[in-house]
Amino acid sequence: MTQFIGMDRRQFLAALSAFGIAGAGAGRDAWAQGREPVKLGLTQPLTGSQAGFGADFVTAMRMAQKDINDQGGINGRPLELVVIDTQAQPQLGINAVTRLATVDKAGVFITAWSAVVKAQAPVANREKILQLSVGANSPDIARLGDYVYTLFPLADVDITALAKYTYGTLGKKKAAVLYINNDTGIDAAKIYRAVFEKEGGQIALFEAYDPAATEFTGMLLKLRAANPDVVHIHGLLVDVPLVVAQMRQLGLRQQITSYSAAYNPKMLEQLGAAMEGFIVTSLAPGADENPNVQPHIDRWIKEVGRVPNGLPFIQYNYDAVLICARIFKHALDNNKPLTGENLRDSLLAIKEFNTPLTGKTVIEGHRVNKPVYLVTVKDGKFTPLAKLD
Amino acid sequence: MLTDPALLLQVLWTGTVTASSYVLLTVGFSLTQKVTGLWNFAQAGFMGIAFYAMYFALNHLGLPLLLAFPFACACTIIAALVTEAWGLNVLRARHSSHLTFFIFTLIVAEFIIYWLTLLFGTEPQTLFKSIMSPVHIVWEIAITDWDLVAIGMTAVFVAALAGFLRWTKDGQFLVAVADNAKLAELYGISARRAYYVTAVIAALFITGAMYLVGTRGGITPNKPLELILNAVIATLLGGMGRVFMGALASVVLALIQSYSVLIMSSRWQNLLLYGFLFVAIVIFPRGIHFPKWRKRPVVPAAVPPGG
Amino acid sequence: MEYFLTIIVMIAIFIILAASYNLVIGYGGLATVAHPIFYALGAYTSALLAIHQGWHPIICVLAGVLVAGVASILLALSALRVSGDYLLISSLGFQLGLLQVIRNFEFTGGAGGLSGIPSTIIGAARTPMFLVICGGLAILTVMFIAWIVRGPYGRAITAMRDEELAFSTLGRNAMSMKVAIFALGCGIAGMAGGLYAYYFQYVSPDQFDILQTVAILTMVVVGGMGTTIGPVIGAVILIAVPQAITFLNLPPNVMAPLQGIIFTTLVLVVMFLRPTGLVGGRSLTSSH
Repeated sequence: MTQFIGMDRRQFLAALSAFGIAGAGAGRDAWAQGREPVKLGLTQPLTGSQAGFGADFVTAMRMAQKDINDQGGINGRPLELVVIDTQAQPQLGINAVTRLATVDKAGVFITAWSAVVKAQAPVANREKILQLSVGANSPDIARLGDYVYTLFPLADVDITALAKYTYGTLGKKKAAVLYINNDTGIDAAKIYRAVFEKEGGQIALFEAYDPAATEFTGMLLKLRAANPDVVHIHGLLVDVPLVVAQMRQLGLRQQITSYSAAYNPKMLEQLGAAMEGFIVTSLAPGADENPNVQPHIDRWIKEVGRVPNGLPFIQYNYDAVLICARIFKHALDNNKPLTGENLRDSLLAIKEFNTPLTGKTVIEGHRVNKPVYLVTVKDGKFTPLAKLD
Repeated sequence: MLTDPALLLQVLWTGTVTASSYVLLTVGFSLTQKVTGLWNFAQAGFMGIAFYAMYFALNHLGLPLLLAFPFACACTIIAALVTEAWGLNVLRARHSSHLTFFIFTLIVAEFIIYWLTLLFGTEPQTLFKSIMSPVHIVWEIAITDWDLVAIGMTAVFVAALAGFLRWTKDGQFLVAVADNAKLAELYGISARRAYYVTAVIAALFITGAMYLVGTRGGITPNKPLELILNAVIATLLGGMGRVFMGALASVVLALIQSYSVLIMSSRWQNLLLYGFLFVAIVIFPRGIHFPKWRKRPVVPAAVPPGG
Repeated sequence: MEYFLTIIVMIAIFIILAASYNLVIGYGGLATVAHPIFYALGAYTSALLAIHQGWHPIICVLAGVLVAGVASILLALSALRVSGDYLLISSLGFQLGLLQVIRNFEFTGGAGGLSGIPSTIIGAARTPMFLVICGGLAILTVMFIAWIVRGPYGRAITAMRDEELAFSTLGRNAMSMKVAIFALGCGIAGMAGGLYAYYFQYVSPDQFDILQTVAILTMVVVGGMGTTIGPVIGAVILIAVPQAITFLNLPPNVMAPLQGIIFTTLVLVVMFLRPTGLVGGRSLTSSH
């Protein structure tokens, strides 16, 4: 990774207090005093095919929890994370949020995976528990109801920027879009096509593949016949490496782009030289742009033994916990009980958050807008390429 | 595009080669069905064991492939034999119905899959770190080293089985038991032994298949359940009791899926498979076969009255 | 409290599913595994009508029942000509194939599922009211099925199941009886689907795949096939036990596989120690 720049951990924690959540000098004894904890729900896939990301998200959030509690918690009260496994499945997501709302009585929870977020929304709206989506990117999420907000930019943000960059800056006029035939792929692929065509480009091939498919020769030969300048692949951890490997093995040398899920060290391992020149979007600043990122990566290496899966998502999840802590504090300072309704009001009242790992977060409606970072693979490593506002 | 011979040949090559793992799985599944009469869904669990045993041996024990593969074979064989001895035999003794066997084998598969999830997690894993394989261009067709291994392995395994069934005593006993277990017993052939031998053969084929699948892409504990579906469909289309036709059916199915992509969107690939299955079942309930060309019987000429 | 009531609503819905499935395989002797697809058809039909047409919930659910019933007749007429293994596998193919269709059409929400099913009951009384409705329908279903199988029609079904050949020689039409039972069982499953759609306000194809088949089948077999109360017991145990396990406060990342292990072990134990099911129903032996 790039050079160490910026703060060490002590300075970082000081910045955290400046962020405004440290208790009034209560210190580490907050726990020992037995103050009632403040509950934050997390519904993430801890098992199932997405667990690689989900488990890491939870780890990042636990790091944030530790940092908050080390500073004295929230107004002296420790932050408690109630974690429930969703396996990235909608039905389990529904069970999880019902339980958080009615058994654990949490006023807010952080969730991810578009299908799960959509399934949970009716329950969140009904039970009046604040639902914060971090990581899911279906554009529908901004329209799921009064109690559903996303702290992560939706697909229209990064895919739009990528499509424009591909046409305008990279100068590619003819694109092919290959996407996984599910929630993740369909919405995003449509956005890419719409934006690319609007810019003046031509879509040579627009093809969905089955999530369970492992053999893409037919589709890739169609691609070869269509002869695009660039190929955008919108898929997940298992299929994207297969598509890329088979593409390169068939002798197709086009530029490939993808979105944040491909920003994954494991994929680099699997594909090796085949991934050279790959471009992925990232919605979070890299270590070059933000001095807080490298210490966080170092912390992962020290505490977990490796870099995280999906670094940009990790950054958002860490910051999301801080945002929650901030709204908890706001409600407590105003002597309001920590219900979903009050927490939502606090979220909207504060509106702007100086989140350390992702830069400023501004709530606009039910969503956030952020700059898009492009990262490329150079000499076997992910390297920053551009920042698009 | 559809008339480009290089393209059509490429699809033919890659389609056939990637069908190789399905051929191995189908043979294992179909042979089991032939000899025991059972649709043994527990094989999905055995697939998981084969893969993760190899994965563990290669990546955690640091063994070379020459040791890891037999290690995985051994683990799979043990699992298959245990299921046979303590599960299926008991159910047979009770004259259990098809449904019971169905539930039992499926539950065993799930049981194994949950254990594998607990032990290995659910992140997709490959046997080796890289999935890339060196490519050679032969007559405009891209052929990878993996392709050659796959074809070679499948050919050897299938030929070995054919030889086994034809020329060894145990092989012939398998066929006898498949035809009529009770009758075979009367001739002193042990059905039980035949079931065990079948389990071992299936385990070997499964391990071979999982080596191929696992060196090509990421595997999760749930993947075998998807894979076994292909084996089921191919077995059905090949015809019950016709193991090598089942193997052919898997290749044909894979080719149909691959070629279909040229004329329609890829996302319909799977649907095509099921549609095919359903139609085939309704029209060819005994598996697809062509009417045998019958030689006209030689009928002696009628003797005219009077000589 | 709400959480537990939700669990009971799930149990009620699964009682309806298990009881109707028991009618088909336990009493009817038809070894199909496509039950969840009729559940799905009922759920999707009700959901789509509610979203696009805004009809009254009762009408939507009844439409779901109708669609499930008609689809089952179509499957039955083609697949019931064959039997045994073939019915098993062809029904599996039908189920998975139809799920693929659902996954591929935007109209049904595709793979991401169908959300935005309108609310019917709003406010604190929602879950208790749903509990009353689903619970009531579950009880009615069980009683209805019990009434059918105890009457003269029931005797005819049993005769057909146990000795089809003799049954036919007596001039009874086995085929039409099979289709009738199948349609009845699957129609009831469609009703369960409608209830599910209205309660959870979200349906997705993943909820109706082969694991669901195994779940319902297990409820019937573990409870006791061919008995009235067996499916009820099966549904209660097989939903309550995994939920109870989640309260054991195990580390979250082992919870799901551990739940699965406990659940499958339980089923295997029951299958081997009490093959006729917990309530002791018809023995699962081959009839022929």
